[in-house]
Amino acid sequence: MSLWFIAWSYLWNRKLITALTLLSVALGVALIGTVLTLREETKKRFEEEGQAFDIVVGAKGSPLQLVLSAVYFMDRPTGNIDYAIYDQLRKHEDVGGAFPVGLGDTFRGFRLVGTTADLLSYVWTYRGEERQPFQLADGRAFEKPMEAVVGSFVAEQTGLSVGDEFIGTHGLIELPKDLQITSHELHPYTVVGVLKPSGTPGDRAILCSIDSVWDLHAEDVEPGMTTRDKITAVLVDLKTPAARFQFKEFVNTEFNAMATVPVDEIAKLYNQFLATAKTVLLTVGYLVVIVSALSIMIGLYLSILQRRRDMAIMRALGASAFEIFGAVIIESFLVTILGIVTGWLLGNVVSWVFGLYLSQKYGMSIGGLGLSVEHTYAYAVVALVGLLAGVLPAWQAYRTDVARNLAEA
Amino acid sequence: MVVMQECRRRLGPGVEFLCESFRVLEGSQTALWGPSGCGKSTMLNLIAGLLRPETGTIRVDGVEIQQLSEVRLDRFRGERFGFVFQTFNLLAPFTAIQNVMLGMRFSDTCPESEWKTRATELLKRVGLGHRLHSKPATMSVGERQRVAIARALANHQKIVIADEPTGNLDPKTARGVMDLLLEMCGEQKVTMLLVTHDLAIAERLPERFDCSGLVREVTP
Repeated sequence: MSLWFIAWSYLWNRKLITALTLLSVALGVALIGTVLTLREETKKRFEEEGQAFDIVVGAKGSPLQLVLSAVYFMDRPTGNIDYAIYDQLRKHEDVGGAFPVGLGDTFRGFRLVGTTADLLSYVWTYRGEERQPFQLADGRAFEKPMEAVVGSFVAEQTGLSVGDEFIGTHGLIELPKDLQITSHELHPYTVVGVLKPSGTPGDRAILCSIDSVWDLHAEDVEPGMTTRDKITAVLVDLKTPAARFQFKEFVNTEFNAMATVPVDEIAKLYNQFLATAKTVLLTVGYLVVIVSALSIMIGLYLSILQRRRDMAIMRALGASAFEIFGAVIIESFLVTILGIVTGWLLGNVVSWVFGLYLSQKYGMSIGGLGLSVEHTYAYAVVALVGLLAGVLPAWQAYRTDVARNLAEA
Repeated sequence: MVVMQECRRRLGPGVEFLCESFRVLEGSQTALWGPSGCGKSTMLNLIAGLLRPETGTIRVDGVEIQQLSEVRLDRFRGERFGFVFQTFNLLAPFTAIQNVMLGMRFSDTCPESEWKTRATELLKRVGLGHRLHSKPATMSVGERQRVAIARALANHQKIVIADEPTGNLDPKTARGVMDLLLEMCGEQKVTMLLVTHDLAIAERLPERFDCSGLVREVTP
């Protein structure tokens, strides 16, 4: 019959209060855990995807917008650039591969991305591991205009499979049919391939020949130009990532376009906006933990007041004041530890649900709730706070006046 | 077994406890009796080391307990003394057997491997073999007192202190509990100190000590 058993028996004896206190600790821990996980995982995934291409070249404007639109297929493009730029870049000696990107249409909210078929066989290396984000699971690559290869999530959501036809909608936002400015009824796409799930933005994209985009937007061009003169962006894979800065400077100087390094923009996004959001959410999480610690303290304190007689009996039976102090601290510790474990599990569930949402919305797969150094540190802080919450009630118990409490029967 | 000499303890402004001499032999059964407020419980608390005297000596089983540190006194108390209080003897979260084992938890008298066996034997001996796993809330007051008696003897204690153990019981149950207490203490040759204000109960014990006058007013 250890002090742990004695402490646990007293917690069990007031199950409801214990459960409520434990739940409040768990909520704080879940919030902290989820914020840390989502922040770490999204950052990891964004940075990973951001390194798929060394440079993105597009119209001048916001570099972040350019990266989000051309690499993650999320934001509106910054504009168009001359196709000639792509032509020159792909022949540059530092370039290992260059892929045009033409945006403009959607199908049920999924972006149609005009490019070249060699993007499907594009392989890049991340920390020694080869990645092929646009690998075919079924069918073949597009070979001629109005053939399309759909991402795995697009196929799952729309039911499209090889041989099916669909009609794209003009514009990047899905509108009700009667509000659509132009739809391309006369030019249906035929699905010729489906991509393997990759947990990347490719899952939510519909890839087609850049000619398809040009052909469908022939009426959009300025007078005196042909549709084939413009593209949205160029994704560039350099022979060595070390040349990124130099190549970026070269593009910005030599062409009427903007070059940017995706991974740098993502890092800036995290360091500026998302770091603040993380701090705010973590502060809320820690505040919840502090409130929980207060509830542990108040709960234990009231319980000790009610149990003064029990404490006195234990002292009469030979328990030292230190043992009584220890038993109360253990109660506080048990509630905190159980709260942390419950919160960790709860955080797993919340992260998993968020992961599903992010995967569907942005094609970003989130791993399970890990136990990173940051998590461990945060949970250690929570455990310490919980432990400290037990000190005052434990001190109260330590100072129990045995003779007086035995007399007050 | 217990010797008190010139023991003085202040109880409040202008009130003090003073016991000039008190002696109890090993294995004896002594009733400390007297009216309410006469100092019976203070005397028990001093003997058990729950209160410390300001002057004087208290020797229990050859040890001057006022010289012991807090921690050693706690252990000494757990090993030498068993307690039966008037009421609320047991700890609510624990079953009868756990309450008895709790008495052994805080002393080194009985090895842990024997706790369960000894607690079971004692509970059977007090007629509660069928209530081993019952919680105090489900037991009658008499049953709770019997568990307390079992706990008071669990550590092979040398002294049992019973503070008005039948004060809250109906006459029939009180008689049963008293019989059991005397019988068990006699059986195990344990010294018993019993506090009561009831002379009829005091007269059931071979030795009696009149506590009247132990608490007195003093000029500041």
